[in-house]
Amino acid sequence: MTRFLLRKAVGMVGVLLILSVIVYAVFYIAPGDPAQLACGEKCSPAQVLQVRERLGLDAPVHLQYAHFLQGVVAGRDFSAGTGLLHCPAPCLGISYRSGEQVTGMITARLPVTASLALGAMVLWLALGVGTGLLSALRRGRLSERLLTALTLAGNSVPVFVIGLVLLIVLCAQLQWLPFPSYVPLTEDPQQWFWGLLLPWVSLALIESAKYARLTRSSMLETLADDHIRTFRAYGVSERRLVTRHALRGALTPVIALTAMDLGTMFGSAVLTESLFGLPGLGKLLVTSVGLIDLPTVVGLTLVTGFSVVLANVIADVLYAVTDRRVVLT
Amino acid sequence: MAPQEPRTGVAPAASPAAGGRQVWRRLLARRAVLAAGLVIVLLALIAAAAPLLGAVEGQDPTSYHNDLLDSAAGGVPTGSLGGVSAEHWLGVEPGTGRDVFARLVHGARISLLVAVGATLVQVAIGVLLGLAAGLGSRLLDQLIGNTTEVMLALPSLVFAISLMAVVPSGFPRPLLLTLVIGLLGWAGTARLVRAQTLGLRQLDYVAAARLAGATRWRIARRELLPSLAAPVITYAAVLLPSNVIAEAGLSFLGVGVRPPTSSWGQMLSGATTWFRADPMYVLLPSALLFATVLAFTVVGDAVRTELDPRAAARLRVGTARGTAGPTADGPAPGTGTPGTGSPGPSGATEEATA
Amino acid sequence: MSRTTFTPRRLAAATVTVALVVGAAACGPKADGGGSTGKDAAPRQGGTLTVLNQNPQDQFDPARLYTSGGGNVPSLVFRTLTTRNRTDGTAGTKVVPDLATDTGTPSEGATVWTYHLKDGLKFEDGSPITTADIKYGVERSFAPELSGGAPYLRDWLVGAANYQGPYKDGRGLDAIETPDEKTIVFRLNKPEGDFPYLATQTQFTPVPKAKDTGTKYQEHPVSSGPYQVVKNENDGVHLVLERNPNWSAATDDQRKAYPDTVDVQSGLDPAVINQRLTAGTGADAAAVTTDTNLGPSELAQVKDDKALAARVGTGRFGYVNYLAFNPKVKPFDDPKVRQAVAYAINRTSVVNAAGGSSLAEAATTYLPAQETFGYTPYDPFPAGATGNPEKARELLKEAGYPDGLTITLSHSTEAGKGYGPNLATAVQDGLKAAGITVRLDALEATRYSKTIHTVSTEPGLFLSGWGADWPSGGPFLAPIFDGRQIVTDGYNFNSAQLDDPSVNDEVDRINEITDHAEAAKRWGALDKRIGDQALTVPLFHPVYKRLSGKGVRNIVISDWTGVLDVSQVAVK
Repeated sequence: MTRFLLRKAVGMVGVLLILSVIVYAVFYIAPGDPAQLACGEKCSPAQVLQVRERLGLDAPVHLQYAHFLQGVVAGRDFSAGTGLLHCPAPCLGISYRSGEQVTGMITARLPVTASLALGAMVLWLALGVGTGLLSALRRGRLSERLLTALTLAGNSVPVFVIGLVLLIVLCAQLQWLPFPSYVPLTEDPQQWFWGLLLPWVSLALIESAKYARLTRSSMLETLADDHIRTFRAYGVSERRLVTRHALRGALTPVIALTAMDLGTMFGSAVLTESLFGLPGLGKLLVTSVGLIDLPTVVGLTLVTGFSVVLANVIADVLYAVTDRRVVLT
Repeated sequence: MAPQEPRTGVAPAASPAAGGRQVWRRLLARRAVLAAGLVIVLLALIAAAAPLLGAVEGQDPTSYHNDLLDSAAGGVPTGSLGGVSAEHWLGVEPGTGRDVFARLVHGARISLLVAVGATLVQVAIGVLLGLAAGLGSRLLDQLIGNTTEVMLALPSLVFAISLMAVVPSGFPRPLLLTLVIGLLGWAGTARLVRAQTLGLRQLDYVAAARLAGATRWRIARRELLPSLAAPVITYAAVLLPSNVIAEAGLSFLGVGVRPPTSSWGQMLSGATTWFRADPMYVLLPSALLFATVLAFTVVGDAVRTELDPRAAARLRVGTARGTAGPTADGPAPGTGTPGTGSPGPSGATEEATA
Repeated sequence: MSRTTFTPRRLAAATVTVALVVGAAACGPKADGGGSTGKDAAPRQGGTLTVLNQNPQDQFDPARLYTSGGGNVPSLVFRTLTTRNRTDGTAGTKVVPDLATDTGTPSEGATVWTYHLKDGLKFEDGSPITTADIKYGVERSFAPELSGGAPYLRDWLVGAANYQGPYKDGRGLDAIETPDEKTIVFRLNKPEGDFPYLATQTQFTPVPKAKDTGTKYQEHPVSSGPYQVVKNENDGVHLVLERNPNWSAATDDQRKAYPDTVDVQSGLDPAVINQRLTAGTGADAAAVTTDTNLGPSELAQVKDDKALAARVGTGRFGYVNYLAFNPKVKPFDDPKVRQAVAYAINRTSVVNAAGGSSLAEAATTYLPAQETFGYTPYDPFPAGATGNPEKARELLKEAGYPDGLTITLSHSTEAGKGYGPNLATAVQDGLKAAGITVRLDALEATRYSKTIHTVSTEPGLFLSGWGADWPSGGPFLAPIFDGRQIVTDGYNFNSAQLDDPSVNDEVDRINEITDHAEAAKRWGALDKRIGDQALTVPLFHPVYKRLSGKGVRNIVISDWTGVLDVSQVAVK
């Protein structure tokens, strides 16, 4: 196990390094002068020069990258006028546009994306696992239809289409839900819930199909397992059989898939947040790319890459923990 | 991960040509598939004949019609249902008065061209690298394996947005879209082909060819490619609809094709604020996008069932228990054991589709 | 000029300008529309005003803010030597004293400006405000760490061109003298009749040197205004302002400061802001926005809702969107080609693309249609509402293009802006009728701004816009048409690279005038003279529609900002 985690950790760092190099290269080549961006359009050439120096942009690109890495590992200092502005590790640099620390910008917006992802996850698990179990345990037309409908939705509709249609129906026509908006949970839990419900539903409708299919097949397979058959032969009630014995094994792949999906959630978040105007990481990315704000884009890429890789490892570990037949090597 | 028997899978079953006609006949016998097929043919025709269709209606996708807008009310189309009339069959666009029908049919071109093109790029790269990894030296295999790993961990949408934004404006956008989606989405195919290749090379006829002194390239071309056709086509059929969605997504985010060229995703991004005042403008591109992806998905599903029943079963039910799950941390490079390389859409493409 | 052209950055980042740019609109019917804004009773003190904004106040350092007239939220905390007149309409374009006793005394031909402070001025900690604090505030705005403000101080103050601010150069700026605690004197290198307008900007905010923490100062800037910052979360995403006990209404006849608390929530999507203001549930009833206007689709909804329409006000902010030519690039070196484009333009398409006639007024003059800028109506190339393609073809034939012409129009990819794809395609479609084929060249916002403002890369034809740093013709015309403002090694705004000695001389002569009305007349005449050369094609002047909550009153919109003045709003 330890060896497995170690190997994974090394791989993770490697992947993240490669990611950062690629993004750095892509944006470094991109035209546009970061110093001018940071200084403002009306800055004189002399001022731009000063800003370039302050941000360390006068160094060659490999040195800039080295400084960036150093910041991630050990933190960095920037001139703050009266003294030094310390950007503690993991320092992802200072946004060219706003002059804010990227780490701070990301942590400030993380609650939005996390709220979006976790809320949607609860919904899609309820919807997906529920439908899956229903169709596995009680085969019938209803559950079949539900499964087919979910599958169609999940496979055939991008989140912005479902979102827009839900907006027209639930928000404009029926007026059941307010226009989505983000209010921090800590500020007003009720508004937080209502404001995010529509985005959650949109995402859940798309994701739950996978879960329904997975749950169904996994349940059926588990129920056909030898040990379950043995229990049944001993006269254990069907209900007890399912809740006590089969569920644990059947839900293992579901949990692993959940971890994976949360890791890659950021991709959906970009589109969902753009559609509903939620001020999360995805929205920040789209804005920063448009402004060629390198530190912010690199920071976001690293954070998302990290979450994907981490989710992979977590899924593997979950397997090992819940399913003793899997040995991590 | 528990080591597994090499999955030689489908390959022998689908010896080309022979079963081909049969497969076609069975496909056509299913009504849903037939309907989906017709939708695809229709879409292809629409895309090909877009200017002609516009001419039949008497409209083009770029002309402004200011007289059809209520300027003081933000440029909302006058008349019901977004300005539907005998001249403008599906109404006009708010703010410009451009003909929606003409923009939709022209949008079909971008959608189909980019999706098909990107799928070809993905398959081409995937097959090449997969074969190279399966047949090449251990070092090459490891290198390609690692690259594939990185590609799968890549937040592909993030990269796609960045690339689309950074490439100079002179580069033709539809081509750029095709390349970006294609270059970011080949990892799944490569992994699949590698696994298949490793399985196939154990087989007698391949071994015989090798003994007979055939070069690797020749083996790949003559002996392996025909057997790879079935799984690769199956996989491509899964990639295609997700590429349609990827293009729509990028255009929706404003980094896709450039105005005045129309695409469905772009129409939708312009439509987002109009969902109350002009719902027609939102629903039309939505419906088309839905129909297209659905048709491709149904056909893809059917192709998969026919060509690769085992993989189809696996896909339909998600990942079978006992394998390392959807995470499939991949074939451990160099061990020679094909991994569970789940042939579902790779994490990367999936992400872009969501 | 806050060239709000395309600067999502500093400007955008810098506070209020954005507000102005993105949409200065005001709530409530304008006073001249009956003045029925307020509910019957007089506004009273108390309550909490909520401000719902798009752009976080991520800059809250007076040195870094780029504002017109001191900004909105910032002007609740920062007082300046002078400020904008907080009244409705045209009267609001006047400059009035704030910390100073008057708007400034010019001497030596308007090259020396002297101010005296009012009595009893205090910071939030109770310590007195002195002219040394104002001098220090101006000086620190020169530090590279605190860049972002308008460039005028650097251009105007004697010996300031290479000054690096007090952190690197402790001696300070000799051009600012403080003979005593109440007197401050600014020495300029040329006559500037508009200096009182410049003195409204936040760089003229007093900053106590002992409390200066460099870039960290913005976390808690020391208040000189009616409110102080009690909470600043996530770099200005959420601000809470409460009364500053040491501010005295007796020294400030401009800020009404009715609410006890101002709660600024930002980072919101414009659609969300307008939806929340429309619904007006809970605290949103007592809410306003200072940076969001109604978009076209929202106007379509308001059309059918009388109660809602009554809460929509109209605001104007001096701004012009135009097509810019680079006469150094063929075929735009030929005035006939430029004139042909000017004749061919279809302003109806353009106005619709900009959001329709409620959000944009077709423009034929460069100067905004307001007296304070010196507006003088002219239309040298009458194109009518939809263009004059015949005349355009005729001119093209004379210029040697009898079979039409293919040109490239550069624009930004930023949607919803006056230089984005909507406008570009509208121009493209309009010119078709005159046989002019337009190719579009789209660039990302940042790259676009760099390209069009660099002399060596400037395209032949592009979309641009210009906004007022203060309501006067000078900051509108000089940066764009004064030949001495051509910058070859940095950002250049004189896109035609016009260097006409007679224009330059006239700019200098008008700058000597300290009577605003007199100067305005001369700016108007100069605008007309330049307009005849077809160096730009004015497209439209934006108009802003803004919605306010159900429960707010005393809504004031001046033509200076075109924005609801947050210092005047009452919630009781």
